[in-house]
Amino acid sequence: MNRIGSYQLFVMVIMFHIGSTPLFLLGSKAKQDSWIAVVIGAVAGVIVMTVFVALQQRKPDAGLIELLRLTVGRWMAVVIGLLYAVFFAYQSMRNVRDFGELTSLSLLQNSPKWIIMGIIMFIAWYTVINGNESFFRTTQLLFIVVLGSYFLLGMLVLLKGLPNVRMLRPVLEQGLMPVVRAALPDIFSFPFTQGVIFLVFWKFAANRKAIRKTAYWGYTAGALFIVLMNAMIVSVLGPLAAVSALPYLEVVQLVQVANFVERLDVVVTLLLFIGLYIKLTAFYLGAAIVLRELFHISYKWGAVIIGAAIYGTSFLERNNTVHLWIGLGISLKVSLVMQVGIPVVLLLLAAFRIRGTKQTNTPVSAAEGKAG
Amino acid sequence: MFSNKEKGPSGPKPDSGKPEPLSTNLGVNIKMLTAKLGESSDFVIRALRSDAMPGVEMVIAYIKGIVEEDAIHQNVINPVMGWSAPPGKSSWIETLRQRVITTGSTKQVSMQEEAVNALLDGQCLILTNGFREAIAADTSGGEQRSVAEPNTQTVIRGPQYSFTENIATNIGLLRRIVRSADFRLRSYTVGRKTRTTVGLVYMNNITDLHVVKEVEERIQAIDIDGILESNYIEEFISDQTYTPFPTMMNTERPDTAATYLLDGQMIILVDGTPFALAGPVTFFHFFRSAEDNYQRFDISTFLRLLRYGAFLVSMLLPSLFIAITTFHQEMLPTPLLISLASQREGIPFPALVEALLMELTFEVLREAGVRMPRAVGPAISIVGALVLGQSAVQAGLVSPAMVIVVSFTAISNFVTPQMSMASASRLIRFTLMLLAGMLGIFGIMAGMLFLIIHMTGLRSFGVPYMAPFAPVKRETWLDMLIRLPWWARVFRLVAVSSVNPRRQRGHRPRHQKE
Repeated sequence: MNRIGSYQLFVMVIMFHIGSTPLFLLGSKAKQDSWIAVVIGAVAGVIVMTVFVALQQRKPDAGLIELLRLTVGRWMAVVIGLLYAVFFAYQSMRNVRDFGELTSLSLLQNSPKWIIMGIIMFIAWYTVINGNESFFRTTQLLFIVVLGSYFLLGMLVLLKGLPNVRMLRPVLEQGLMPVVRAALPDIFSFPFTQGVIFLVFWKFAANRKAIRKTAYWGYTAGALFIVLMNAMIVSVLGPLAAVSALPYLEVVQLVQVANFVERLDVVVTLLLFIGLYIKLTAFYLGAAIVLRELFHISYKWGAVIIGAAIYGTSFLERNNTVHLWIGLGISLKVSLVMQVGIPVVLLLLAAFRIRGTKQTNTPVSAAEGKAG
Repeated sequence: MFSNKEKGPSGPKPDSGKPEPLSTNLGVNIKMLTAKLGESSDFVIRALRSDAMPGVEMVIAYIKGIVEEDAIHQNVINPVMGWSAPPGKSSWIETLRQRVITTGSTKQVSMQEEAVNALLDGQCLILTNGFREAIAADTSGGEQRSVAEPNTQTVIRGPQYSFTENIATNIGLLRRIVRSADFRLRSYTVGRKTRTTVGLVYMNNITDLHVVKEVEERIQAIDIDGILESNYIEEFISDQTYTPFPTMMNTERPDTAATYLLDGQMIILVDGTPFALAGPVTFFHFFRSAEDNYQRFDISTFLRLLRYGAFLVSMLLPSLFIAITTFHQEMLPTPLLISLASQREGIPFPALVEALLMELTFEVLREAGVRMPRAVGPAISIVGALVLGQSAVQAGLVSPAMVIVVSFTAISNFVTPQMSMASASRLIRFTLMLLAGMLGIFGIMAGMLFLIIHMTGLRSFGVPYMAPFAPVKRETWLDMLIRLPWWARVFRLVAVSSVNPRRQRGHRPRHQKE
């Protein structure tokens, strides 16, 4: 495992949070106010992000497992660590399935899903085998592509005059409560507190002082993007947005330029692919790292085992409806335990437990901070 | 890291046995040398008898064809014949070597192995009866191609000469461009049988010395019978074998090599080939042509961006065509779709097979173009253009659109300045075509994603292959992507080290208006 630069971390935080969000209309329960719901979710998420960063700053050179060992002891660390490995693998599995469903919805209606998902699993496995450095660099390259494409598509949608601000009115028609209820816990849980995965990655940061900055700025940029995207979808599609399977795709399908540039939905699908790939690989990589730190098994074999498990379990849900029902329902609530509950408890414990060892640790981390 | 044993920079490992000394008996030595060289008919032994030195038995031995016989006559034979040894002095052979023989370099040889090697290197050997030491005088020469115009890396504006097969000439050409005391040359002999000279050139104070040391170790670890071209070295010392992408560049242009040197790269010259190696490199180095530096920056920038585009086209165009016509017809505007569909009407193959056939045909044509004797050239072009292009369309075997796609792909492939990178795109193209035929755009995307991951994991002598974009190097990324005006090109491109990263102070010339 190699060191990761600050800019790479920043990009990863953005890309991870954007991830697959353009696939869904977040906060669709809030109808035209869904973008407000996203804002509320993002603001609530910042608080949790502070928890993650604070936890990391307690012992900057420690990964998730090390933090667990320091706070809850060796045996509980194994239990909770294993829970996290399973949780990450589960989240990765959700994205793999999303990937399969998206492909069969948009690009390849006739190809079997096991091939599509097998291919993306192979690519994710190859990334994980290549190590974190390769993954972060790949994300960095993809970031340029994704940024450029979204910008271009956004400009096209704007220039065609598709967005209609009236679609966003009336603001807060039913008062604030329905909006808050749409935001909490759903949007709060996905995607804004999934950053728990960075507790695994942060220890690879080359410059640990920059973690805080990159985390907050990356998070803000990502959240801003999601809010804008959400507002754009609703302002173009209006009430239709909530019932559409792939709302962003439908927005872009409305774009036609000069009778030649039409059907840009392939570009959108590719963008969604990239988002899903980054997210599923991040979780997969996280699970592999956690497993290695827990049991000191060979990293390559750990990656194979987790990959096989992810691939196998991604077929368990019977169809896309079940997949979405679980994913946007029960899964969101249970995830909160892992994403918010445990980290908060850990931070509280760390406040007491890591203090004892802090005196020995502070000089080391300070020196490393300078070196980085 | 290297399983081979350490080997000294000079001289190969003997094939077997301990080194044996020469004999004091002249006859024994002559017999030994003749036997070792297999009684070759080009092995010349001439007795040197002169009245000035009565009673001294002396011979000169050399191998014809690899020595300059004029030099032997003028600098060795003539002076030796006219010289008389001071009587009574037993070490007059040393005086003979240092004072009498007038070739550029001489050395004393006392081992059989050394003597034979000296002969094979084109030196002449002077053996004297009663002395164990022989004198080897450097008289190597023979027919050489003279410096000529470059054949593969041509420019319109810029120096019009290239390296030759002679490493000494090549080093001279380089030195004449970079007249700095920081110019460093390390020489190695590689290859048990060919004993090829390999020169490692770098700039002191610019190149990272750790990398130089690493390369030196890798070169010294090579253990093979022969090195005939620089690619032998490239495959031995590059960081990864199983990749379609080259991790070293080659050039036959001394000026390009000098550019690399000033960027902090190393040059490896191999005797017997005009192609020098350069490393470390990144992916983006392969799209820079020598001419970029000799033209105005605006046109150079445009051309460089064009090269990136052409590279993508040569890699992707056939597979995109297959994917769109087979899987995603809805992406095309209706009139275009109708036009394509009507062309494909009656074509007996699926688009994938059609494209593969045409691409393979082109590869065959291209290979034929390289291998054929010059005299049959016109035949190839007739067969290629008329029979395979026009007739295949008229016969209804392939669609005209496919011919256009394949031709444009082929042309685009020639835009990449470095052949090794162009070849990489050829191989990748076929894989992507298969993926596109099976899975459409999704297949292409999966293939590209795989390539990106693969490339971000590659290194060339420790430098990440996708630098300066992943990871980002703030100083050089813009200069790598486009061609900045010369006064703005402040930083050396290969940021392996923090050694001397600037090439100039870097500010806009004062006389220019804002």
